[in-house]
Amino acid sequence: MVSPWRFLPFLGFAAAALAKSSTGESVLIVLDPDLYIENFSRFFDGLEARGYDLTYRRPKDVYPPVIEHDHPKYAHVIFFAPEVKTYSQDITPQSLVTLLSKNTNLLIAVGTKATPLTSLAAEFSLILPPPGTPLVSHFPERDTPATVVPVNVSNPVVSEDLPPVWFSGVPFAFGNNPHIVPILNAPPQSFAADSDSDSGADALVDAANKGGEGLWAGSSLGLVAGFQTLGGGRATWVGGVELFSDEYAQKPAPNGGKSGNEQFASDVAAWTFQETGVLRVDDTTHHRVNETAPRDKYTINEHVTYTMHVSKYNPTSAVWEPYSGIDDMQLEFTMLDPHIRTALKPTPEKPGEYSLTFRIPDRHGVFKFNVDYKRRGWTYLQSTTVVPVVPPRHDEYPRFLSPAWPYYAGAISTSAAFLAFCALWLAGEEPKKAKSTKFD
Amino acid sequence: MPPKSTSSSAPSNSVQSLLKSYTDTTSPRLKLIDTLLLFLMLSGIIQFVYCILVTNFPFNAFLAGFGSCVGQFVLTASLRSQVNPANRAEFKEVSPERAFAEFALGSIVLHFFVYNFLG
Repeated sequence: MVSPWRFLPFLGFAAAALAKSSTGESVLIVLDPDLYIENFSRFFDGLEARGYDLTYRRPKDVYPPVIEHDHPKYAHVIFFAPEVKTYSQDITPQSLVTLLSKNTNLLIAVGTKATPLTSLAAEFSLILPPPGTPLVSHFPERDTPATVVPVNVSNPVVSEDLPPVWFSGVPFAFGNNPHIVPILNAPPQSFAADSDSDSGADALVDAANKGGEGLWAGSSLGLVAGFQTLGGGRATWVGGVELFSDEYAQKPAPNGGKSGNEQFASDVAAWTFQETGVLRVDDTTHHRVNETAPRDKYTINEHVTYTMHVSKYNPTSAVWEPYSGIDDMQLEFTMLDPHIRTALKPTPEKPGEYSLTFRIPDRHGVFKFNVDYKRRGWTYLQSTTVVPVVPPRHDEYPRFLSPAWPYYAGAISTSAAFLAFCALWLAGEEPKKAKSTKFD
Repeated sequence: MPPKSTSSSAPSNSVQSLLKSYTDTTSPRLKLIDTLLLFLMLSGIIQFVYCILVTNFPFNAFLAGFGSCVGQFVLTASLRSQVNPANRAEFKEVSPERAFAEFALGSIVLHFFVYNFLG
């Protein structure tokens, strides 16, 4: 895998003014035959304006391939095929998972119809309602059908103060997967129901009873949800492809004014394509206090300084910048269990540096400096450095300790007594013979 | 140890007669050995009590100190039984000089180990 920052040199002069993803700019768009590029022109043109190279393809086309020679050809895949049930061989839902594991980012739209994508969503712990049950809300009062719902946006992944976003499609309930990043949640008054008659929701009740998940209703439902893999790849699931359409982008919000769709779609793409919320660990070092070079091994009870440099990707200038904004990172010093787990704070006045000095525990063995920082919406930061911790060498600790002086005195006095005894015995040699003869 | 009163005269009499007979009938050699044995025993007891009541750290120092007392006691006790004229019949082929030489050699080896183990 080519590390993302290898692209930096030619990114620099090719398009310094353009926003770029941290993982590459090639995008494959798999478009449903019923959907037309023109209907999504604002979204796609917006991507192109930000420097992405877009390639279009129908789900049943065989060219261009997504994976060539076991290497993903595109940095990002937009999968707008919510109604297609069969795909060409290299873009089946299973191969999408392969792509994701190779750090290709995915933007996937699902619809109300049951397709292989519906079952793929379950692999991401997204529980979809039965087919044909879109999100319905009768609030606020408006002139659109009940299935076209304005949704208020409030999420750190997207821009602040966005106007409501028009949505129509399916909601999903979340399983308890910690890698899910909810981006857009359903309005509290909304629910999933048969669109022709709200009262005929028997299919939903049956499904809810069978699955034991409860009804698909309320603000805990997701409409747009991100998923971040341990390897750093990002997949975003969208309940309805119309969210990205020109129609919704131009549709005025219920309270007047412009709807937030265009900006929201662009923000979701920016997060999915690893423009925003992207961090990386530049390097980690460790050394003894009052030294600078790392040691091969440390001795128990020594004071050690651990330093880590973190960068954040800046999409406007396409460079990695030192980032000191993390204040809840923790360092673990681990041998099987963490012997020390403590806050790793940013060093004041040194951008991007996080540093900590601590005492190694009174325990020898193979330890690890372990940083495992996982926050929703941010790249996971993981760093592990193995260091052996050894007991002091024979000349590194005092050999004679004050609590043991009775033992030293005992041993020395025994020797002294032995010497004195020998001297007295040998001095008393002659009389002893005389006396012993007497006693015989 | 003078008798304090007439009520305890019988036990103190026997202790006194024991001491008297010990003083009269034991050769100075054996008294010298007994002094060393008594000293070693007291030293060992002090170290053991210190280990129990105060600290056994560092344990190797305790083992060395206590072991030197015990070892020296055993060696001295064997020397005493070999040079005791009462045991002459038992150790016919061991002269007192040879017994002392063996005792001295054994003690030197013991102390060598003790000092290696002490620190």
